[in-house]
Formats: sequence, C-alpha cells, structure tokens
Amino acid sequence: MRLLEEKKEILYVIRTMDVLMSSGVGLEAAIHTIGTGGYGIISSDFSSLMEKSRSGKSRGLEFDVKGLMNKSESEGYRRLLNTMYSNLTQNTDLLETLRKQGKRMEDDRNEEVKKYIEELGGVPETLLSIGMIGPIILAIVGLIPQLMSGDLGAFMKLPPASTIQSVVNIGLVMTLFGMIMIGLKAHTKDPGL
Amino acid sequence: MLFDILEAFNDQMLLLLLIVFGIAFGAGGIPPMIERKRRRSIENQLPGLLESLSDAVGAGRGIQEAMLDQGRNTPGILGKLLTDTLESSHSSSFDAAMSSFAAKTRSAQVQRVTVLIDTAVEQDAPLQGILSDLSMDYERLNDLMNRRETELKARGILIIIFVCIGLPVLIAFIVGLFAPANKGYQISDFNQTFSLFFAAASAIAASVSGRMLGRMKDFLWWLPFWMSVSMGLYLGAVKIIGG
Repeated sequence: MRLLEEKKEILYVIRTMDVLMSSGVGLEAAIHTIGTGGYGIISSDFSSLMEKSRSGKSRGLEFDVKGLMNKSESEGYRRLLNTMYSNLTQNTDLLETLRKQGKRMEDDRNEEVKKYIEELGGVPETLLSIGMIGPIILAIVGLIPQLMSGDLGAFMKLPPASTIQSVVNIGLVMTLFGMIMIGLKAHTKDPGL
Repeated sequence: MLFDILEAFNDQMLLLLLIVFGIAFGAGGIPPMIERKRRRSIENQLPGLLESLSDAVGAGRGIQEAMLDQGRNTPGILGKLLTDTLESSHSSSFDAAMSSFAAKTRSAQVQRVTVLIDTAVEQDAPLQGILSDLSMDYERLNDLMNRRETELKARGILIIIFVCIGLPVLIAFIVGLFAPANKGYQISDFNQTFSLFFAAASAIAASVSGRMLGRMKDFLWWLPFWMSVSMGLYLGAVKIIGG
C-alpha cells in the first residue's frame, strides 16, 4: 500500500517543491508546507520530520531525511530524499535536479499508464475464460448424477453423488480463487494516477 | 406482482437480503458517481483556466483581476464557482477567497494548485511561468486519466455484463433444459451451490472492474446489487425454464 501511495504522490511533491523553491522558499519551509497535508503518505512523513525537529529529538534534518530513505519503498521517493540529503550535506543545485527528476518521473508515469492499459487488455478475456468455462464444465459435472440416473446408469459406474458434489464445490472455489488472482493484477500494477 | 416475484424466492433468504441491501446500497452509490462527474468536469477545465491566467498575468494584469475575468469567461462549474467566490469575498482577503474556492471544488488538483498560487503570490515569484507550467502538468495528467477511463471502461462493463448477467443465465438454461425440476430432478442443492457461486463471482467481477478504473471504493456500493442480480437471474431463469 505504501509503495502505491508513494508512487501516486511523488510527482506532485516534486512539482510543488519545484514551484515553492523557485519562488524563494527554503528547503525546510518547503518540507513544512508539504507536511501540512494534501500529499498522502509523503505529507505524513514530512510532518513527522518537522515534528521531530520541533521536539528537539532530531540529530539534524539530514539524518532524519536519511532515516526516511530506509523507510521509502518507491524508487522515485528514494531518489527525491537522496537529492534532499545531498543538498543538505553538500549544497548541491536542488532546483535543477528536481526539474530533471520531475521530467523523468513524468515520462516513467506515462510509460507505466500505457503499459497498464496494455496489460489489462488481456484481463477481461482471461477472467471471462476462467469465470465462464469453469462453471459451465462444473455445472455439467454436477448434473451428471441426475442425468445418468435410471437406465443410463447401467452403462457407466459413477462415483457417489456426494463425491461429485465435493468435486464441483472444490472446482467452484478454485474458479473464484483464479478470478481473484487475475483481478489482483489490476491492483498490483496500478500506476497510481 | 412485485410481491409475487419475491414470494417465488421465499426459500432463498440470502437473495431476499441481498435484494434489500442492493437497493439501499445502490442508492448510496449514486452520490459518489455524481460527485465524481462534477469533480472530473472541474479538473478537466483547470488546465485551460491556468493557461488563460498565465496569459493574462503575462499581459500585466493582477492575479485577482485576471481570475475574476477568466472566471466570468470560463463556462461550466469551475468558472461559476470561481466567480461566485471572488465576488462574494469583498470583505475578506484574497487568500481566504482562494481557500474557500478550493474547498468548494472538493478537488485535490484544484486545492494543490491553489496552495501553490498562494505561495507564489506570497513569495512574489514569477506567476506567468508557474501558471503555464502548472497548466501543462495538469493537462498531461488529465489526458492520462481520461485515456485510462475511456480505454478501460468498456472492458470493465464487459466483465460485469458477462459474469453478473451472461453466465448465470447461460448456466440456468443448461440446468433448466437438461434437468428441469418439474420432471422430478432433484437440483435444489445444486441451485443453492451455484447461486452462491454467482453471488461471489459477481462481487469479484465488480471489484476487479472498479479497480481497473481506479475507483474500487465507488464500486463497492454496487456489490450487493450485482450479487442479487446474478443470484436472482440464475434462480429466476431456472424456475422459468425448468419449472
């Protein structure tokens, strides 16, 4: 969940920091502004950074930013924190790097959305194949004890009806499980728009 | 007639409950749909407004004056909200009016843009460039969101129609034709199992469809409805065809 939330918010955070800092706001004030809310999990992270600073428990902003790097799960967020850390320790050109990162992240996002749409193109077909063919076959299997009763039963020895019922039940549960697994693809590969 | 239909399913407690919950939750699912339509309409107009503001500021006008002017010229709900807020803010500050405008739109995009414009104004930053960059950023973002919506919507509907409507009716035909209850076939256990399966499969199909479009929470409201539709269609069709 954290990964998805980070991926969803990171580009907005970079753009906001870009606008704030090119307007003359300092890094700490930019972190404070983002920490006040509106950027999901990143706002919570930045808010905890500022809280730590205010409470006097912080060893310094650079150490806290480095601490956040271990907590982050997405590549983009880690890269932003690394840029902030470099700026704090070596006074690098943060604005230029933010712009480059923003551009790169936007290209990545466009690619991810295209890929997501392409990959999900096959989901309906797969879902319908499993979700429809499975139950149709299982319905026929479930009806066999009824259809093969009487004279027809003499041609072929069938397992007890309870066994067939169990097979059908297991088959239906497996079909549902298969549908969930296919559906998970839509969740795990979400580009986070 | 409605009571006769419900009477036919007297022995299906879960179905009756799902019908009641389906109607109640379905009513709860309509406001999020209306709200989303309104919010997306505002968000799709935002890049155009920002671009016009950038041009107006570049031509030497003040941001407040430019906003009021563009609000009047922008058709739709965004322009109306902006004009109403600015016109009613004579006795309050521009910041307060902007905050009020952002809150009224209930859009995260507009709220983010508003905070950035406020900060840029406070810091005396070059507004024309900032507004133009924001306009292009949000234009690209909205294009992506709209593309996702248009390309995946048809697939989402296809999943729901096939799993929640097509499949139960198809199986009901097979069961009703080959093992009709009026000819003495004992299929009540079979029907019970399959009706539960269709309810579960419909819930999964509707959830997957919602997740594909990036609004699963909105679709959760409709789960009992689709579950009851698939169960009802199956049990109803079996009764009609097989007696």
